[in-house]
Amino acid sequence: MYPLIPLGPLNLSSGGLLLLLGIMVGMFLSERIARQRGGAELADQVSSLTLPVLAGALVGGRLWYGLFNWDLYGRNPGLFVALRVADLAWAGALIGGMASVWLWCRWRRCDLAPSADVAALTLPLVQAIASLGLLLSGEAFGLPTALPWGIPLFGTIRHPTQIYLMLAALISYGILQLLARRSLAPGALFAAYLWLQGLTMLLLEPLRGDALLTVFGLRIAQIVGLGLMLGAMRWGRKKIQLHPDYMR
Amino acid sequence: MVMLRRSQWDILMLATLVVGIGLIVLSRVRPDQPVSLAEPGAASVATVPAPREGHPAPDFTLLDLTGQPVQLADLRGQVILINIWATWCPPCRAEMPMIQASYEEYRDQGFTVLAVNSREEAATVAGYMDASGLTFPALLDRDGTVSNVYQARVMPSSFFVDRAGVIRAVYRGPLARSVIAGTVEQLLAEAP
Repeated sequence: MYPLIPLGPLNLSSGGLLLLLGIMVGMFLSERIARQRGGAELADQVSSLTLPVLAGALVGGRLWYGLFNWDLYGRNPGLFVALRVADLAWAGALIGGMASVWLWCRWRRCDLAPSADVAALTLPLVQAIASLGLLLSGEAFGLPTALPWGIPLFGTIRHPTQIYLMLAALISYGILQLLARRSLAPGALFAAYLWLQGLTMLLLEPLRGDALLTVFGLRIAQIVGLGLMLGAMRWGRKKIQLHPDYMR
Repeated sequence: MVMLRRSQWDILMLATLVVGIGLIVLSRVRPDQPVSLAEPGAASVATVPAPREGHPAPDFTLLDLTGQPVQLADLRGQVILINIWATWCPPCRAEMPMIQASYEEYRDQGFTVLAVNSREEAATVAGYMDASGLTFPALLDRDGTVSNVYQARVMPSSFFVDRAGVIRAVYRGPLARSVIAGTVEQLLAEAP
């Protein structure tokens, strides 16, 4: 575990650093992918959406974290704006980013689907890099396990949830790359990405030792994950009816 | 990709829903009945030491800045704030004056602070305590054993231990002054 990288008088948080690196790689990559898929026009649109996405993800991630850690955040509302990278929740960031771009596009009247497909091809790599940050900082740690590939963290052998998350992101990346070669309806790649995200949350969240909980001890990210899967499938079902050729 | 008819698609969605809900319910975290601060005097159910509310605080022995060993179990009967910190951690430094204030206010009533410093040199810690006018005991967790046992992945981490040695409140992240005072007063009011 290397939560801090000493750099002269500064102690940089490795988790935050890798998250930043991931975002930078994502911005670079998304513009390139957009250029390949839709030329300069799509590239411009994608880069104009970057800021709303990041802002929405930041606000959503922190709000989500704070609302589900209300015992701490309710007493110290200042924490909602504190500069702490670790206190972000991925489910909230995903929802916040999507909501903010959706609102932005309603206001600017842009066609969201092609940009969303670019995001689907980019985000898994960003997440894989961010997972490495989680591993370095010991965030998103797993439950204790006796499995041979457990890693020592906080005095126990635990599930390497961060590595699971990275593998899930890389597998998602591979699947989406394969799907991208087919001519699918605009938005289909993003729907597939959401489905894969939902599956990842549903399956990996129970192995985490720091999952955010809601009533009855249910893990909120699993509920969101199932919702994402069903939402993506509902989208697919509707599209298939309208355009039977698309999913062939 | 295989073409799915509408009915097959519906079945697939239904199956996802059912399997998903099953998985969510099966893997839920079962509450292990932590002692609520709202009910003073409630019996502790958990007997296994763990760094969680309602569990006995895991025991440790560490050296203080004068080289004397301090054991948690020896302080049984007092209300203890175990604060895991480091001098390089800004939010830890920010809450130190508030901890000092509550230490001065409540120490005569049986409250003490164990400021467990994580992995730093005695000289660094002593210099910081002196410069900041902090008088409560600072303990040196040189190899991070206690931080590990207390799963202090966030610094500062604070654990309020009642007179019976049971952890009654856990805070990850900086404390507000009112939180310290409120918790300490409530725990001091309980019968020893």
